[in-house]
Amino acid sequence: MAKFTRRSVLAGGAAIAGASLMPFAAMRPALAQARPRLVVIGGGPGGATLAKYVARDSGGAIDVTLVEPKESFTTCFHSNLYLGGVREWESINHRYDALASRYGINHARAGARAIDRNARTVTLDDGAKLDYDHLVVAPGIDLVYESVEGYTPEIAEKLPHAWLAGPQTQLLKAQLDALEDGSLIVMIAPPNPYRCPPGPYERASMMAHVLKNKGHARSRIIILDPKDSFSKQALFAEGWERSYPGMVEWQDPLMHGGIGAVDAATLTVETDLADYKAQLINVIPAQVAGAIARDAGLSNETGYCPIVADTMRSAMDENVTVLGDATIAGDMPKSAFSANSQAKVAANAVRAALTDARAFPARYTNTCWSLIDNDDAVKVGGRYEPKDDRITAVDTFVSQTGEDAQTRRRTQEENMGWYAGITADIFS
Amino acid sequence: MRPLSSQSIARPPRPGLAVLAAIALSVSGAASLSAAAEGDREYGAFLSGECVTCHQITGGYDGIPPIVGWPPETFVHAMEDYRDGARPNEVMRNIAARYSDEELAALAAYFGSIEPGSGAR
Repeated sequence: MAKFTRRSVLAGGAAIAGASLMPFAAMRPALAQARPRLVVIGGGPGGATLAKYVARDSGGAIDVTLVEPKESFTTCFHSNLYLGGVREWESINHRYDALASRYGINHARAGARAIDRNARTVTLDDGAKLDYDHLVVAPGIDLVYESVEGYTPEIAEKLPHAWLAGPQTQLLKAQLDALEDGSLIVMIAPPNPYRCPPGPYERASMMAHVLKNKGHARSRIIILDPKDSFSKQALFAEGWERSYPGMVEWQDPLMHGGIGAVDAATLTVETDLADYKAQLINVIPAQVAGAIARDAGLSNETGYCPIVADTMRSAMDENVTVLGDATIAGDMPKSAFSANSQAKVAANAVRAALTDARAFPARYTNTCWSLIDNDDAVKVGGRYEPKDDRITAVDTFVSQTGEDAQTRRRTQEENMGWYAGITADIFS
Repeated sequence: MRPLSSQSIARPPRPGLAVLAAIALSVSGAASLSAAAEGDREYGAFLSGECVTCHQITGGYDGIPPIVGWPPETFVHAMEDYRDGARPNEVMRNIAARYSDEELAALAAYFGSIEPGSGAR
């Protein structure tokens, strides 16, 4: 197994930082002549966490640039709670200011257009080029619009996916809030693997929550799923029966026979066994790693990026690390929690490679909470370690069906506490 | 080494933690400095990455209890209770199950060194 080394990194380093700019140079004399340059593409839970941890823990010994066009980040996690009226819009938006002001991270307000792995450069939208000694690629997912017949980025302005948080999330909420009693909502769920496995089903729960609160007893939600089963299925089924009896219907391929075309003009979804005329259609298409990672040759035939399990380094390039939803992370689901966990392992590995920092053995964690109704949440989680060069689950747990109301309320308290914790961990 | 006094115990936000505080007082009263107090703080700082996804490093409370500024013995006792199954939360049982005594000591040394409200490392 190849590994990236401090020597190989420093060989490409630029002699930019003088001792006067290097308050920690005295502690690390080897670095006095060249501050290794780390470029991070993508300011989500993977990229922003890694940038913060490397900048903070290296005490200025590594030059960190975060390439992210936005000035603030809308979290996909808890965007379903915004949809359900449980959270305000502002509460799921987080500015990047502290990453620059507290940790000295350079925030390049641009998108990354191309990576040249031979020259070790990243070209930005505005044409500027950044040299790197090590590169972190954390672009999240791209949607494969054509995986659903008739669906395009333009059609998404009428039939929102809302799977990349932002204006799409607000569009879906506006459509949901405008519905009248007796409406039909059709959601097309994505095939595996995709961002946030319980997400579509939490979303259906939050939609039902809104309909129920408005007294829309005649409205219905149909989920058309290309999968035979889904995350926390028994828990969602139980929760829907308890909170929204008769309102949410899940159809697997045996029930719908195959998902056909969507038509934005008539708000119709075709399946092999029936056509549905809906008032709201939410299409969540298939997904792949963000284009910048695929274009740089960091993905394989799956559309996602293979990594080395003990460092999150790309299996394709020892000078590149890939994080989060864009990766093939073994047993870990694609979630913000996973990306944040991977970022801390990778931050340690990057520091150990670029400086004299100690390297510690990788260990990963994930927990996903899902809200079904007010004060009614369930969770699933696990611990993961590298085994045979694959991130492998070593312990897992899931909420039990039949849990009492107090347990489910406490799980929701934990869910809200986790959100406050992880967003502080990433952005402040 | 931080002095072990009631001043250094995180204020329990919920009644359940009052038990913890009582344990902490009895331990600190005995003035016994176990190996838990001598953990590898730097290793603990790395391991803490798993904790601070939920538990805020500032000691802030938004539904998940703060864990900074505890006497190391208190921290280790609580984690041992999760590891042994004496405490019920599945997330914490799952987290604690894989930690060795050395790792618990490292975590205790790290979190014990953080002043609530400082946000420092």
